[in-house]
Amino acid sequence: MIQSDDISSASSVETQSDYTSKVRNEIEQEIKRLKFLSNRGLWALSLFLIVCMLAWRDFSLLPLPDTVTAALGAPPQPRFISIMLVIYTFSAITLSLSRIMGGIEHKSSFCHVAYLTCFFLFYHFAKALDENFWAVLGAGITILGVESYRIWSFCSENITLKHEQLEHLVRTGQLPPVE
Amino acid sequence: MFKSLAGRALIPVGLAVTGFVVVCFIMLYTNIKNIIIRDSVGHATNLADTVLKSTHYAMLKSDRETLEAIIHNIGEQKGVDHVRIFNKAGVINVSSKQQEIGETVDKKTEGCIACHMREVPATSLGKMEQARTFRNRAGIEVMAITAPIYNEPLCSNAACHVHPSTQKILGTLDIGLSQEMKLATLSTIRREMIAFTIMILIITVGGVTAMLRRSVFLPMRKLSDLAEQAEGEEGITSPPARFPNELDRIASSYYKLSQKLRQIK
Repeated sequence: MIQSDDISSASSVETQSDYTSKVRNEIEQEIKRLKFLSNRGLWALSLFLIVCMLAWRDFSLLPLPDTVTAALGAPPQPRFISIMLVIYTFSAITLSLSRIMGGIEHKSSFCHVAYLTCFFLFYHFAKALDENFWAVLGAGITILGVESYRIWSFCSENITLKHEQLEHLVRTGQLPPVE
Repeated sequence: MFKSLAGRALIPVGLAVTGFVVVCFIMLYTNIKNIIIRDSVGHATNLADTVLKSTHYAMLKSDRETLEAIIHNIGEQKGVDHVRIFNKAGVINVSSKQQEIGETVDKKTEGCIACHMREVPATSLGKMEQARTFRNRAGIEVMAITAPIYNEPLCSNAACHVHPSTQKILGTLDIGLSQEMKLATLSTIRREMIAFTIMILIITVGGVTAMLRRSVFLPMRKLSDLAEQAEGEEGITSPPARFPNELDRIASSYYKLSQKLRQIK
């Protein structure tokens, strides 16, 4: 009987140790993922700057606006594109600030680069890129700047939380109670 | 800075407000600039039409002396860079600058290519296409309008110098206007808009900072001092001063907890 109790106790210790090491691994993986994610905003900003450089050179790799408009039809008026850019900038900033407020994880930075590239292309095909380049650049830096800050602050908050959990796990063998 | 409460509250708001105001400023300025350019092209086209109407009778009568006098007087006007009339072959017949007379204009230059890009030249252009901008020899920006002189029944039937009725365009009037005043106006608008933008940013970001500092950060610091006092040997000795809103409740709770701890000790 005593022997059986010893075995059961040893197996319980082993199970507990397995559990601790499993949870510890999960937390460490999560910290790694968050550290990787925290730079996502900066990568998006860098990609946007590359697109800006191409736009500054008038998209020399693309076919001429006249060729494209002959195939696809007339582009929208530059004034209409500008109104859409203001609405988009306002919505993107509002959405980003709401996500900061709600502490929501969202990895949407790269889709903003795609939207901003579309604005550059529309202006290019409407032959109004020279006048509106700085507006798109300003909008991009603002949106991606706020998004980078949002992603970075979300990740750093969660990394701190995960480190605290790890510390508690090492000390007590259990995760801290959920608040 | 990024990890402090003030930084976390102010950086995203400051960045968003600054960026959005700057984008709106750039767009507003671009819009105003386009409107001014469109208006100035309209004015210049009207002026070219006025010159054509004024010289019409002299050209019909082949009165070269009157034509030269009109062109010379218009060319003397402040803000007019040049006025010239050239024939279908591109030879300058009359000009406000005497040295230009007899010279041939290049059909591949910016002002001419719009009509002469195809084998058969275009006979009419929109208002904006008639305008071109360049820097003259003095380095001053000039906007020039080319207005075609169309053949009319009066011209083709005139006894003095007959043009065939099949010829659509007899020549072209080219009038150049200095853009110095327009550029100065745009520069003033730009300066004023930058000043207003900076003022808006200072008021917005400064206002938010001041309000947060007064309502949140300073009381939080006082609360933090109170917490430190509570941790100390003596605890909180006197009731805390009034804190704003919810923080007042936390401060009085600290005080009461500290009092209870002292009693237990």
